Amino acid sequence: MINGIRNPIVKFVFYAILILWGLSVLYPLLWTLLDALKNNDQFFRHLPWALPEMPLLWSNFSYVWDKYNFDTYFLNSIVITVGSTLLGLLLAATTAYVLARYKFRGSGALYLLYIASMMVPFILALIPLFFLMNSMHLINTKIGLILVYTSSVLAFGIFVLVGFFKSLPKELEEASIMDGASYFGTFFRVMLPLSQPGLITVAIVNVLNIWNEYIVGTILINDPKQYTLPVEIGVMQAEMQYRTEWGPLFAALFFTIVPVLLVYIIFQRKIASGITAGAVK
Amino acid sequence: MEAGSAKWQRNLFIASFIIPTFVFFCIFTIYPVAKGLYYSMFDWSGMAQTKDFIGLDNFKEMFKDPIVWRSIGNDYFLVVGKIVGIMVIATFFAVALTRFNFKMAGFFRSIFFIPNVISVVVIGVLWNFIYNPQIGFLNAFLSLFTDEKVTITWLGFTNHTIWMLLPPAIWAGIGFYMILLIAAIQNIPASYYEAADLEGATQWRQFWSITVPLIWEQMKVSILNIMMTTLNGSFVIVWIMTEGGPDNSTQVMGSYLYQMAFRQYHFGFGAAIGVLILVLSLITTVVLQRLLRHETVELS
Repeated sequence: MINGIRNPIVKFVFYAILILWGLSVLYPLLWTLLDALKNNDQFFRHLPWALPEMPLLWSNFSYVWDKYNFDTYFLNSIVITVGSTLLGLLLAATTAYVLARYKFRGSGALYLLYIASMMVPFILALIPLFFLMNSMHLINTKIGLILVYTSSVLAFGIFVLVGFFKSLPKELEEASIMDGASYFGTFFRVMLPLSQPGLITVAIVNVLNIWNEYIVGTILINDPKQYTLPVEIGVMQAEMQYRTEWGPLFAALFFTIVPVLLVYIIFQRKIASGITAGAVK
Repeated sequence: MEAGSAKWQRNLFIASFIIPTFVFFCIFTIYPVAKGLYYSMFDWSGMAQTKDFIGLDNFKEMFKDPIVWRSIGNDYFLVVGKIVGIMVIATFFAVALTRFNFKMAGFFRSIFFIPNVISVVVIGVLWNFIYNPQIGFLNAFLSLFTDEKVTITWLGFTNHTIWMLLPPAIWAGIGFYMILLIAAIQNIPASYYEAADLEGATQWRQFWSITVPLIWEQMKVSILNIMMTTLNGSFVIVWIMTEGGPDNSTQVMGSYLYQMAFRQYHFGFGAAIGVLILVLSLITTVVLQRLLRHETVELS
């Protein structure tokens, strides 16, 4: 590439902007960790960017884990995220495969329906969803959240996976059918393993969205035993007006951020390709 | 007989792969959306049996409610602010990290995306800490330059608090659109830039004559996407940071829907706000698409 900035002053300014923005992202993560090690006294006596005093209050983490029941919320979030991601993947992959490979009456319309649903604001469905789940006795249950989250990720999954299945060569299936495999066998033994990269991309994007979801969680769950992490963060922050526990609040944020950060660090490329595929609706 | 059975098998296969997903989708997505349209025509507290059909009265009431108008204004304030803020910064970063040969471009790209993987709830809490009047970053920083300690309640002004929601929203949105634009820029053949360089075109000139026209489609998608996600989803950041206050000054349609339905039990009215969000986002999509229409440049 022959391009590039030659003027050293301009180059310096650009670097400065990039570094400042980078700090604006990394520093809050660092301060979340540092502030989780402080007590209230330190928050009020010192500047916000002051380092925590010795001894470091690691007990804030265990305090949040035990007294605020973060062990429960963490487990709830994991069960719900894994459950809805797997179910969502199965439902999206099966439909996407048929839509990509078989023509039948209404197949085009069905595909359009799924895609068009991405344009409809989900908040419109919120009130009816509450009453629907209520009548099905699924309020305050993990199953209830899993069902709603699964449905909310279907359209995106179908959209990406239809594209993916279309890109796989048809000869593979023909050969498999020739060898006497059934339609089901061909899908589960041949096509599904081949589409693994696409499946992983969809799964990661869904995991991030579901783990971070707040609105549906807060409406369908009001029993503290069933809270997910974001719902509990929302509740904790509202309680801060009456009982200030800044250290534990930051410890709580830390527990919520770390899992998605790990997923991001491991699967960066997959996430980027998911975005580029998903945004071009 | 043989052919008939094969066809039957094929149909069975198709049905078993299509129907479960579709049934699921109907129950948990289509039905609630349709029901939302239906509820918007009732006066309904959600609790009792008294659900009176009142036709479009909710909508009439809605347009007489000054808070609804304020919410619409705030929503569009955020839409415009986010489109300008995100597009300028994300485009700048996308160009900087692809065209300018910066060392560690990949590192910056990975870092800048991090806010997009964090829950909006967490982002709201972090920014509340920045704005906190007693122990927040912003006041402490400003205090460095003044004699007296600054104690501004950043989220406490009825006229300006909505402005304070813009920085977190822009900060959190950059990474996603930057990745999108980077992918678009990387699709532009290097030879275009090489030719421009040989003819002595400046970076600035190359940006406007090559980059922008060739990534215009993705910029358009980004702008539409920012508009949609803002109208449909600003509720979370608003609810976490201000709960629509002070005095409803930061209310957006989503947060007002939530408050009316789940705090004040006017479910019919809440559903009507939901319909309003749908209608406005459809209208805005059409208008924006018109405004952004531009000779699309195809890569040959």
